[in-house]
Amino acid sequence: MNAEVCDQCGKCPSACPVTARIEGFNPRQIIAKVDLGREDDFMDSGVIWTCTSCLKCRERCPEEINPYDVILELRREAIAEGRQHPASYDEAEKAVTETGVVSQPQPARTRSRDRRDRAALGLPPAQKPKDQTKFTQAIKELKEEKA
Amino acid sequence: MRVAFFPGCTAQADQIGYEASVRAVMPRLGVELAEMEGAACCGYPPYSSVSEAAWFYSSARDMAIAEAMGLPLFTLCNGCHLSFTETKHALEKDAALKAKINAKLASEGLHYEGKAELLHVFELLHDGVGKERIAAAVTKPLTGFKFGAHPGCHSIRPSKLGRPDDSENPRKLDDLINWTGAQAVEYPGKIDCCGSSLASASGKTVMEIAGEKLKTIKGLALDGLVTTCPFCFKVYDNRQRAIATTIGDRTLEVPVFYYTQLLGLAMGLRQEQLGIELNQSPVDPVLARIGGA
Amino acid sequence: MKPVLVIGGGIAGIQASLDLADRGTKVHLVERTPSIGGVMAQLDKTFPTMDCSICILAPKMIECFRHPNITIHTQSEVVGLEGGVGDFKVKVLEHPRSVDAKKCTGCGLCSEKCPVKRPSDFQAGLGQRKAIYLAFPQAVPLIATIDRDACLWFTKGVCKTCEKVCPAKAVDYEQKENVVELNVSSVIAATGFEQYNPKGIGEYGYGRYKNVLTALEFERLVCASGPTGGVLNRPSDGKVSHNIAFIQCVGSRTQTTGYPYCSASCCMYATKEAVLIKEHEPSSHVTIFYMDLRTFGKGFQGFVDRAQNHWGVKYVRGRPGEIREDPTMKDLTILYENTDVGKVEKMTVDLVVLCTAAMPHRDNRKLGGVLGVKLDEFGFFEDKDMLTAPIETSKPGVYVCGSCHGPRDIPESVAEASATAAKAAEDAARAEVKQ
Repeated sequence: MNAEVCDQCGKCPSACPVTARIEGFNPRQIIAKVDLGREDDFMDSGVIWTCTSCLKCRERCPEEINPYDVILELRREAIAEGRQHPASYDEAEKAVTETGVVSQPQPARTRSRDRRDRAALGLPPAQKPKDQTKFTQAIKELKEEKA
Repeated sequence: MRVAFFPGCTAQADQIGYEASVRAVMPRLGVELAEMEGAACCGYPPYSSVSEAAWFYSSARDMAIAEAMGLPLFTLCNGCHLSFTETKHALEKDAALKAKINAKLASEGLHYEGKAELLHVFELLHDGVGKERIAAAVTKPLTGFKFGAHPGCHSIRPSKLGRPDDSENPRKLDDLINWTGAQAVEYPGKIDCCGSSLASASGKTVMEIAGEKLKTIKGLALDGLVTTCPFCFKVYDNRQRAIATTIGDRTLEVPVFYYTQLLGLAMGLRQEQLGIELNQSPVDPVLARIGGA
Repeated sequence: MKPVLVIGGGIAGIQASLDLADRGTKVHLVERTPSIGGVMAQLDKTFPTMDCSICILAPKMIECFRHPNITIHTQSEVVGLEGGVGDFKVKVLEHPRSVDAKKCTGCGLCSEKCPVKRPSDFQAGLGQRKAIYLAFPQAVPLIATIDRDACLWFTKGVCKTCEKVCPAKAVDYEQKENVVELNVSSVIAATGFEQYNPKGIGEYGYGRYKNVLTALEFERLVCASGPTGGVLNRPSDGKVSHNIAFIQCVGSRTQTTGYPYCSASCCMYATKEAVLIKEHEPSSHVTIFYMDLRTFGKGFQGFVDRAQNHWGVKYVRGRPGEIREDPTMKDLTILYENTDVGKVEKMTVDLVVLCTAAMPHRDNRKLGGVLGVKLDEFGFFEDKDMLTAPIETSKPGVYVCGSCHGPRDIPESVAEASATAAKAAEDAARAEVKQ
């Protein structure tokens, strides 16, 4: 994170869909705080979880700081430090680690309130790891290893 | 041509209509979809905010399977395609990380070299299959229809990693829509986000963000919005009623299609073959006008 | 005494030539285009005094033309250099104008009757000129030139209307290029700059949105000698624009699309252009989106203060992230953050002016190779030492002044030009003594 290079130019919040709508979220300000070593100001507030990963800031930052990458880095720190974060991240993570996919195939609803599952649509069974245990183990080991 | 087909978690589990439309349309355009045995999540949604190594492992794993098959890795999801692209770049630059991941992949009998070509659905259709072939396959041109293209963030950004289309002026999905006989109409905010990644943190804001685009499409009196990403579609289509309530516009009625569904209709296929019965947005008037659906 | 070679006929080259000529040293002034004058001839007014640019420049241009010690070579380029300080052998390639300079009176009838139109470089592409044309009304020399790539006679073997109508019988299709060999004591590089083309910065829509212009294009729009006679008719529909925004640092101060450096004069010229808009129509809304206001010169801060306080030009600190175009009206909406208050906002305007980076001329690399001097990583001529030898290059006897040295304004370019003239005069005198 080369936050110290930031000129505070204001390009990143300009077209950010979240800054315009959620009070307290502003990638420029987040970078400023990171540069000043004041991440604690917002790490517990849930603000870093409200980025929608649209990547406009990453595309346009003139100094290639890429606020989105900084936010991802802060999220990883937050989880590692056991800070508050949306439960769905834990759920998704657990599901993929243990089953290889975010969710199991569900029958989907038609407009006429009917249901269709994969078989009804002529689709083959969903892809998943051949040996789930090995996949789970590999992921767990990688998560545990420090970068 | 033959490709390793990676539908990704969301299409497989939830957006099965999209997967059905891709499976119906591709073989008719000369693209054979080979099944990837043992493929799993690309890793982006569960791991990118948790552990980079776990994320890259998941993506490298799928690329390794495609490599072993000797085929390009074809995906219908914007997010998966970006995940694979990011992983490829990261592992190219960091030999130590690549070695670490390969060490773990070995336990699953896999090896990653980064050789598999990555193909995004509209890239494959636009640049691989091409205009002539698509035009030849269209038997019921969608003349008179006007659609707005929604390429979706992850198919166009960040440009420095190389994306299927231009980040500020993407044209490929527009071209593809035009090649069905319909007309793709330019609109402000075409490159805006659907907001879906925000769902876990603030569902209401997702509705507001997505509502902006639907309002624009409605305001221009277009026949619908066309996308290639299961996340985007889920928001604009499956959640359209919730969006309408949130933004206080009960008359919001915007048909939303996956591009392959639209193409399938233009190729004379029926809505059941393309999973369109599962579209929740008001697509029936469009289907009626096309006729015989 | 051997003459001095001055490459580039902009304000810097003109100043250096006049300084040398006035003290008795002969000068060969080589200019790539059909007329001397450079970018300064395209400006409406100059900051901070708001003097009419061409009014200051044209007398100097005429002086160069009439000066017994100055020989102007237009449509020419330096293609060879050998030797060392005091004794350079130079080859100058004069491209044919296809018009006899001794006969042409600059009446302009040929241009009037010519059927072929092309975008005018002088009008920054906003207006047109003909295949046979006079560069601009105050061009020096005021002699017509044929653009052989556009001319129907040269491309298709038909027309020849200009020859038929020219009262002075000056058209000469057989004119050939000519190589002039010169022996000079020193060389002054004054090749000026170009404006960065911002179409690579897709979020601003230049090239896609008709009402997004570069600063030089805007300068022609606001200038009375421009394609609209100085009325702010915007490109899409001719609507007179009263609501205009300027975006600073487009292609400057960036690690991505453009250059990392500051282009020195944009904060000032944007303010100047803003004041011009207000002078045209005081009720106009003008906003300048900036990162920092670089007003380091004498009178510069006062100029900006007056723009703000007296004229009501608005300054917003924030680099806009995106511009959107209304599909029917073609108005532009700017998405930006006012970083002073931390608020994200939108502003809809008639016209957007992008103040783009000053970059070295695209031919500089080639010229640097011919002269055998070092260029910096961006293509500007590199000075021998920034502090102690700022206008000398890596080769003794070759000097650099003006915008080809780096982004700078007119006063700095003129001062550098006089400095190079002094050095060149020294070389000429020494060479004389040696003989």
